Amino acid sequence: MAPLLQVTDLRVHFHTDDGIVKAVDGISYSVDAGQTLGIVGESGSGKSVSSMTVMGLTRAKNAQISGSIVFDGKELLTATEDELRRVRGGPVSMIFQDPLSSLHPMYKIGKQLVEAVRTHQDVSKARALDRAVEMLGLVGLPEPRRRVDSYPHEFSGGMRQRVMIAMALCNDPKLLIADEPTTALDVTVQAQILDLLERLKRELDTAIVLITHDLGVVAEVTDDIAVMYAGRIVEKAPKGAIFAAPEHPYTWGLLRSIPRLDSPRDEELVPIPGRPPSLINPPSGCSFHPRCPYVREAHTRVDPALEPVPGAREHAVACLLTGETRQALWAELASGADPEAAKAAATPAAAAGPGRLEEEGS
Amino acid sequence: MGTYIFRRLIWTALLLFFVSALTFLIFNVLPTADPAKLRAGRNQTPETVAAIREQLNLDDPFLVRFFSYLGDLLFRFDFGTSVLNDEPVRPLIFEALPNTLMLVLGAAFVWFASGVVIGTISAVRRGTIIDRVAMTTALVAISAPVYWLGLVALYLFSSDLGVLGLFPAAGTYDAADGIFTNISSLFLPWLVLAAAFAAIYARLLRSNLLEVMSEDYIRTARAKGLKERRVIFRHGLRSAITPIITVLGLDIGILMGGAILTESVFGIPGIGRLSFDAINRNDIDIVQGTTLFLALGVCLMSLLVDVLYAFLDPRVRF
Amino acid sequence: MTNSLRALALGAAAASSLFVVACGSDDSGSSSSQSSGGAPKAEAPAEGKQGGALQQLGAADVDYLDPGHTYYQGGYQVAYATHRGLYGFKPGTPEPQPDLAVAAPEIGADNKSITVKLRKGVKFAPPVNREITSKDVKYAFDRAFSVNVGGQYATAFFSSIEGAPKKLTKGVKSISGITTPDDQTLVFKLTSPEAPGVAAALVMPITMPVPEEYAKEFDAKSPSTYNKHVVASGPYMVANDAEGNLTGYKAGKSIKLVRNPNWDKATDFKPAYLDEINMKTNVADASVAAQQVLKGQGMALDTNPPAAELKLAVTQFKDQFVQVPSGGYRYFPLNTTIKPFDDLNVRKAVLAGFDREAALKARGGKFTGDIANHFLPPGFPGFEEAGGAEGAGVDFLANPRGDMAVAAKYMKAAGFKSGKYEGDEELLMIGATADPVKAQSEVAKAQLEKLGFKIKLRLVPQDAVYTEYCQVPKKKVAVCGGAGWFKDFQDPQSMLEPTFKGENITLDGGNNNLPQLDDPKIDAAMDKAATLQGEERLKAYGEIDKMIVEQAPAVPFVWDKQTNIWSKNVAGAANDYGVLLDFNFTSLK
Repeated sequence: MAPLLQVTDLRVHFHTDDGIVKAVDGISYSVDAGQTLGIVGESGSGKSVSSMTVMGLTRAKNAQISGSIVFDGKELLTATEDELRRVRGGPVSMIFQDPLSSLHPMYKIGKQLVEAVRTHQDVSKARALDRAVEMLGLVGLPEPRRRVDSYPHEFSGGMRQRVMIAMALCNDPKLLIADEPTTALDVTVQAQILDLLERLKRELDTAIVLITHDLGVVAEVTDDIAVMYAGRIVEKAPKGAIFAAPEHPYTWGLLRSIPRLDSPRDEELVPIPGRPPSLINPPSGCSFHPRCPYVREAHTRVDPALEPVPGAREHAVACLLTGETRQALWAELASGADPEAAKAAATPAAAAGPGRLEEEGS
Repeated sequence: MGTYIFRRLIWTALLLFFVSALTFLIFNVLPTADPAKLRAGRNQTPETVAAIREQLNLDDPFLVRFFSYLGDLLFRFDFGTSVLNDEPVRPLIFEALPNTLMLVLGAAFVWFASGVVIGTISAVRRGTIIDRVAMTTALVAISAPVYWLGLVALYLFSSDLGVLGLFPAAGTYDAADGIFTNISSLFLPWLVLAAAFAAIYARLLRSNLLEVMSEDYIRTARAKGLKERRVIFRHGLRSAITPIITVLGLDIGILMGGAILTESVFGIPGIGRLSFDAINRNDIDIVQGTTLFLALGVCLMSLLVDVLYAFLDPRVRF
Repeated sequence: MTNSLRALALGAAAASSLFVVACGSDDSGSSSSQSSGGAPKAEAPAEGKQGGALQQLGAADVDYLDPGHTYYQGGYQVAYATHRGLYGFKPGTPEPQPDLAVAAPEIGADNKSITVKLRKGVKFAPPVNREITSKDVKYAFDRAFSVNVGGQYATAFFSSIEGAPKKLTKGVKSISGITTPDDQTLVFKLTSPEAPGVAAALVMPITMPVPEEYAKEFDAKSPSTYNKHVVASGPYMVANDAEGNLTGYKAGKSIKLVRNPNWDKATDFKPAYLDEINMKTNVADASVAAQQVLKGQGMALDTNPPAAELKLAVTQFKDQFVQVPSGGYRYFPLNTTIKPFDDLNVRKAVLAGFDREAALKARGGKFTGDIANHFLPPGFPGFEEAGGAEGAGVDFLANPRGDMAVAAKYMKAAGFKSGKYEGDEELLMIGATADPVKAQSEVAKAQLEKLGFKIKLRLVPQDAVYTEYCQVPKKKVAVCGGAGWFKDFQDPQSMLEPTFKGENITLDGGNNNLPQLDDPKIDAAMDKAATLQGEERLKAYGEIDKMIVEQAPAVPFVWDKQTNIWSKNVAGAANDYGVLLDFNFTSLK
């Protein structure tokens, strides 16, 4: 069976006064009906741009988009604005990071939901309102019949996100793109929203693309995970594989920066040193090399491709380190060593070969 | 909200009190032409001046005169009498008021409507020729002196002096003939008074709208699958226009004191003309009356604007 | 705060002094007028078309419709069309015409009494409708001396009438020196032999009859409300209702004059061609209004057109305007009590070197007036006797552009060998913050500096130029940058005595003798001239004018002209007294 969403070699380049911003630079992924894909990366990694492009929201005069996005058997990249509009908010809908700024502050939420319903369904206002109330109830908003007359600022952050979700779901979408849906919320509310998404996925059989910078978030709800860095996917695997046997040094960094409920409270979170690369002049070779603790001289010249990990059919990674080195390093890191120690332990002098394991300053 | 409005009205009354006290002070205590001397004419003797001072009660202490003025105003709605030609001030003001109202409200409609339309087109077509032409024209309109613009308009379009006699001549509007008769003679004054405001509003709306269009909720609107037109008009414009309505209210309030230059060029006998002439002649009671109207106009319009804003933007509550 | 705005106001009643402190572009604003004796440029059309309506565009309302209260050109214009005073004027004739009077005033041998005979058969307009008698004129005088009515010149020109109060009275009091032996006779008794001067003043609106039985209830109020109930006696009347309320007068907006049904053409020298005159008194922009008048139909302007339109009229609309002398002089007084202007030779040098043409240019150029070389103005009795357009014949006023050689001669005579002034004291000059006084005083400063004087020019608000500086001797103003003196009626005495008689210097303020000229010979000549009549009188004042010029107490530099413009189908006319358009003689073509 063909996947619900098939993205192939998608590139989104923006022409700006400073040069060409390669926000998305050749990514491919697919989502099956009812499945959840988590796209993880720092801000600026292209994860949001890629999903906005699915919705056709990045179309602009200065945007150059190539590749292919096939949704439900239909090519979206070449679709007319009108066709796209019928997809948006209908079969594909989206929720955003900040539910306060994402709802129009001057309209009652009932009105905003009714508008969403009536954009895609030819129903009366009263019927649309019924639908809105029904959806608000479904997402767990208390007293929905009464609350439709409230304005966004009268809700709490969590409730607002529930409203956004209700609005996104009111036209029975096949695919929900959730762009950092919990980032603006506090931790307990985050969990509730994630539970809600999980429940809705089960009940409504909606496929979800969950975009986040936080691996901890995707840990809860996703089936597959794609890790993006500098406009590309650097590692892609089922959830279990990512957490159990991550292959990319960047993924390792992300994993180590998840706050864990079982670790001592005073334990320091380990951020990834360095800053996200420029998308106008990306680093040569492996774009992660300036921040990679395990970089070798050759990595600054060779651009790694996303290739399957030997022995794991659904696991792919774009890294120039050998499989053995990676496994050895992860083993050390997983046992709690810091990157320096891991490097020392996992790298026998011989394995280093003629080159030097050099740490580039960040 | 009721309490709020009540409180604001109290403040308005207080402010009007201070405005009238200040006007009274400026014209009665600080050195300026003595109304008695003006009235006494060119061949005055000190005796004549003294007799007139007594006749007009000018020798009473300042506070006595002020409170007697205030008393007349509050209890008899009497604005006093013009010192120079013995005309009661109230009818003078109330005859001029409809003219100013017609001029200002009509012009406000013109400048608001055109400002919003031009601003929207400019924002939507940002960076195109249309945008550039519109914004350059706006800059010219803002810089052009109203007086000059008025003369140009007359020499181009008025039926008696104009190259193209499209509109009635200057001096043909007077609300006393019936507020809506001769309304066509207000077209030119409306356009002239509205020009600079329309330009300012267009620029303001353009920048507001551009800012709003990058808001998250606009992205949401698009993500809902709305047509771009609806995104702009229902979602973008709704937010971009709200602050402009505040400005509109205040501008109208200020112009209640009279659009002096426009009234002058087109010979509209409004509040501006009245107060301008009165200031020239040191006709204190008229100045006092028109100043109060200006202050009242500004206060009431700002109150109205604040109340209106609460309705326009649900986030604002008192 | 008001002064800088004044120029646009064309301010009715704005002038507070007989001195005209150059009211912006509208110099007429402060001058009021009387008949003239010179060569008038205005000729009434031989025979005008009967009927039609004229519209006059104006920026300012009349000061008052009440003839006892008005003291301003605009008010006079309406007063002389709606009332018949003892004497009136017609275009082209400088002499006063008997109007309500049947002949010139008879002056008693002792110069202390005046008798005027009145015409029979002249009636008040509705609602009074009865025949006018001498008592109505007496009442007009009585009431003008009351503060209720507020006559503005009664005490100045008529105080020598026996029993006339020295200050305005509360309520109307009968004046014992004005008697009415019968309905057609009016007698004035004077306390001093000033009858010629008083007789000359009988052309003023104070002589316009007021019916006591009708007016007294209005005059009992203070201020009087007669202004809203004025009863006409002239060819026209302000439209009114059966009770006499002036329905045709909208203050600050318009005045509608219609024919007075009781006016009998047979009793009047005025043709009164028009049926109706509509005056708009709230036209704001003089430029626009002037264009509308020149290019439109059936219109006239109530004031001097602005410079651009004045030029347009003079060059392109040649039969649509008339110029009349305003009857006054503008001058730069030199304070004769301040060194070095206490030296006659220095003063003569100043006059000699002064470029008066430059000063006229600063005021708007040749269309606005003529360069003056003495004081009594053209069209005014005594002008010819004082030397006419040629002047007194002194070498130091011979060249209107100034003559540095002559100036040097007088400077040397004063002891300055360089031919220029050599002292280094700073002299205070006062000018106004607004044009044209600002411009003209800047010219004067340059002219004086050219001669070596150090001038400190201080610009003050227009109203203050006179009342706070030039008229206050202790302010030590050396040169007044904005002085002018305009007629009230056609008699040379009132043009020269207040401004140059040593006796009239008042040191504690309100001084009208700005140069503080105190020459016993001039004073004596004035005392003598005041008692003379007719040709002798004019000759005497002409001589006095020359004597004053010889003393060089001031630089006379312009005699103003009033320009009246009208539409193509209007035959306009103006007399030298009223200066503005004369409604009585204007007709439509």
